Amino acid sequence: MEPVIRLEGVARDFWDGVRRRRVLQPTDLEFWPGELTVLAGPSGSGKTTLLTIMGLVLAPSAGRVWVAGEEVTGLSEDALATVRLKRFGFVFQSAGLVPALSALDNALAGRSIQSDRVAPGLRERALELFDELGIADYARAMPTQLSGGQQQRVAIARALLGEPAVLLCDEPTSALDVDSSRVVLDTLKRLARDPKRGVVLVTHDPRVFPYADRLVKIEDGRIASDTKDKAEG
Amino acid sequence: MRRHIALRMLAHDRATTAGAVLGVVAIIFLVGQQLAVLNGLFTYMSVLVDHSGADIWITSEGTDNINSAGDLPTRYVDRLIGLDDIAWAEPVVSGAGFLKRKDAQFQPVRVVGVRPPRMAGGPWDYEVGDNSVLLDHDAVTVDWLDRRELGDPEIGDVLEINGQRCRVAAFTRGARGFSGTLVFTNEKKAREVGGVPDDRCSSILVKLRPGANPAAALARIRSLLPRAAATPTPELSANTRLFYVTQTGIGSSFGFSTLIGVVVGVVIIILTMYATVLNRQRDFAVFRALGARRRDIRVIVLYQALFIGFIGILLGFFLLAGFLFGTSGSRLPSFMPLWIPPVHALLTLGLCVVGSALAIRRAVRIEPASAFR
Ligand SMILES: Nc1ncnc2c1ncn2[C@@H]1O[C@H](COP(=O)(O)OP(=O)(O)OP(=O)(O)O)[C@@H](O)[C@H]1O
Ligand SMILES: [Mg+2]
Repeated sequence: MEPVIRLEGVARDFWDGVRRRRVLQPTDLEFWPGELTVLAGPSGSGKTTLLTIMGLVLAPSAGRVWVAGEEVTGLSEDALATVRLKRFGFVFQSAGLVPALSALDNALAGRSIQSDRVAPGLRERALELFDELGIADYARAMPTQLSGGQQQRVAIARALLGEPAVLLCDEPTSALDVDSSRVVLDTLKRLARDPKRGVVLVTHDPRVFPYADRLVKIEDGRIASDTKDKAEG
Repeated sequence: MRRHIALRMLAHDRATTAGAVLGVVAIIFLVGQQLAVLNGLFTYMSVLVDHSGADIWITSEGTDNINSAGDLPTRYVDRLIGLDDIAWAEPVVSGAGFLKRKDAQFQPVRVVGVRPPRMAGGPWDYEVGDNSVLLDHDAVTVDWLDRRELGDPEIGDVLEINGQRCRVAAFTRGARGFSGTLVFTNEKKAREVGGVPDDRCSSILVKLRPGANPAAALARIRSLLPRAAATPTPELSANTRLFYVTQTGIGSSFGFSTLIGVVVGVVIIILTMYATVLNRQRDFAVFRALGARRRDIRVIVLYQALFIGFIGILLGFFLLAGFLFGTSGSRLPSFMPLWIPPVHALLTLGLCVVGSALAIRRAVRIEPASAFR
C-alpha cells in the first residue's frame, strides 16, 4: 500500500513584514488511507500551513510532495487545482459556504466548479449524502438559514461529493457547540473507516484527541510527537 | 455550474449588480440618444439633396458640398438637356431671406425656388396641400414643425419675405433644414425674393435616363461643363454632412458627449464589478481551494459581465425606444438608422467585457490559501 500523501522535507517561509521567517521547519510525513489523523498544536504553531501544503493549496518553500504515488512538486497552479478537485475534500474552520448558493448548490459547486454543468447523478448523490449527514430537510436552505453545525455538515457533504482520497479539515468544530461538535466528529470518524479514504483533522482542542487513530503534535513549526512513531518504536 | 454560480452571485448582490447594470444602461441610452439626435441632424443637413430625386447635382466650380456653392449660369440647363443620357435637368434658385411674421418680427429663412411643372428639388411630403400650389405666383410652403418659429401662419396668410409679398399655400412635412427654416416657392418668386437675375441659378438637378451609365454620364457632363462641379447625389449628401460635422464643431461636440457617456458607463461597470469581486474574495478563495482553475474564476466573472451587459442593453434600449418614440414627430431631431442598434449593443457588450478585465485580474489573483484564514 502506498501513502495518499507523502511530504519530504517540506518547509515554508513567510515574510512577516520585516524578515523571512521559517514557519514550518523541514518536515517528513506520510498519510495513509483508512485512518483519522489529528494534527494538534497551539495557535500559530503551523498547523494550517502544514495542512494547506498537504492539500496543494499552499506552495512549500522547500521540499517535495507526492499524491497517491505521483510527485506534484512544481506542477502549474491549474494542474494543482485539478489534483485538488480529484483527490481532496476540504472542510474549513468556518464552513466556507458561499452565501449566494443554496445548501445543495454549495455541495454541488465543489465537484462541478470546472464546468458549466452538473454531472449526471451528482445531484442525487448529494441528496443521499445530505440524508446520511442528517440535513436532508435543508437542501434548499440558504447558508444563513442554517446553524453552524448544519453548515459544517453541508461543507462535509461538499467535500465528500468528489469521492476524495483524503478529507482535509481545518478546525471543523472550533466554531461549534459541544453537541454539534460531537455530531461532526462522529461523522468524520465514521468516514475514516473507509479503507480507501483518509481524514486529516487539524485542531488545538484536546477534546478531539480521543477520536484520533493517529495524533501528530506540532510546536513552533516542528513535529513534536507522532503516535505512529511510538507505535512503531 | 459556473454559469449558475455566476448568476446566483449576481442575484445575491442585487445592489451592486443594479449599479453595474445602470452603467450599461447609461452607455446604451446616452450614446444611443446622442447618435439618434446626430443622425436626426444629419438628415436635416442634407435634406434638400437627399430628397431631390436627382442623380447628379451641378454646382458652382470647386464646390463639393451644397453649402459653399455659389451660383451658375442658367443656360447650362439647356446644354445639359442636349445630352443623350439625360432625362431632365432643372435649375434650383435658392437664397437667404427674412420672413416678417404676423407679429412683425423677422425670422431668417432659406428660400428654395423650383421650376414648374416638375418642381424638381421641391417639397416631397405634405401635411396640407401638394406641389400644384406652387404654380401660384406668390405661393410659399412652410414646414408643419416650423409653424411656431414663423409666427403660426395659417393657409392663405399673406407674409413678406425680404419685403416681397408671399402667401402660405401649403404645409410640408419633414422639410426642415439645418441652417435655417426652409421655405419652398417657385423659381420666379425665389428670384424676386433673393434678387437673383434670370441668367443665374444656384444649382442644377440632373436625372439620368433609365439604363444610362452613371460614370460615363458624369464624365460627359464634366467635359461639357468644365467650369462647374458635377457630383453624384449620394456623394454630395455625404460631403455636405461632413462639411457640417467638421466645420461647425458639431462633430466634436457630439463626439465629446458620446465619449462622456461611454466613459461614465465604463467607469461604473469597472468599479462595481471590481467592488463585487473584493466583497466576494472569500467565495472565490473557497472555489480556488476546492479546485477551480484560474480560468474557471475568469469564466465566472465573465459570465457576470455578459449577464450584466445583456440586462443593461435590454433595459437601455427599452428606455431609448421610449425616448425615440416620444420625440418622433417633435421638433427634436432624432433618427435611428436600423444598423446602429445591433452595432451599439455589440460594442457595449464588448465594453462590459473590457470593463470586467480589472475585476477578473483581481479575482484570479485571490489565493486559495486565504480560504483557510
Ligand atoms: N500568509 C501569511 N503571511 C505571513 N505569515 C503567515 C501567513 N500565514 C501564516 N503565517 C504565519 O505562520 C505562522 C503559522 O500560521 P498557521 O496559520 O499555520 O498557524 P496555526 O497553527 O494554524 O494557528 P491557529 O491555531 O491559530 O489557526 C503564524 O505565526 C502566522 O503568523
Ligand atoms: Mg490555523
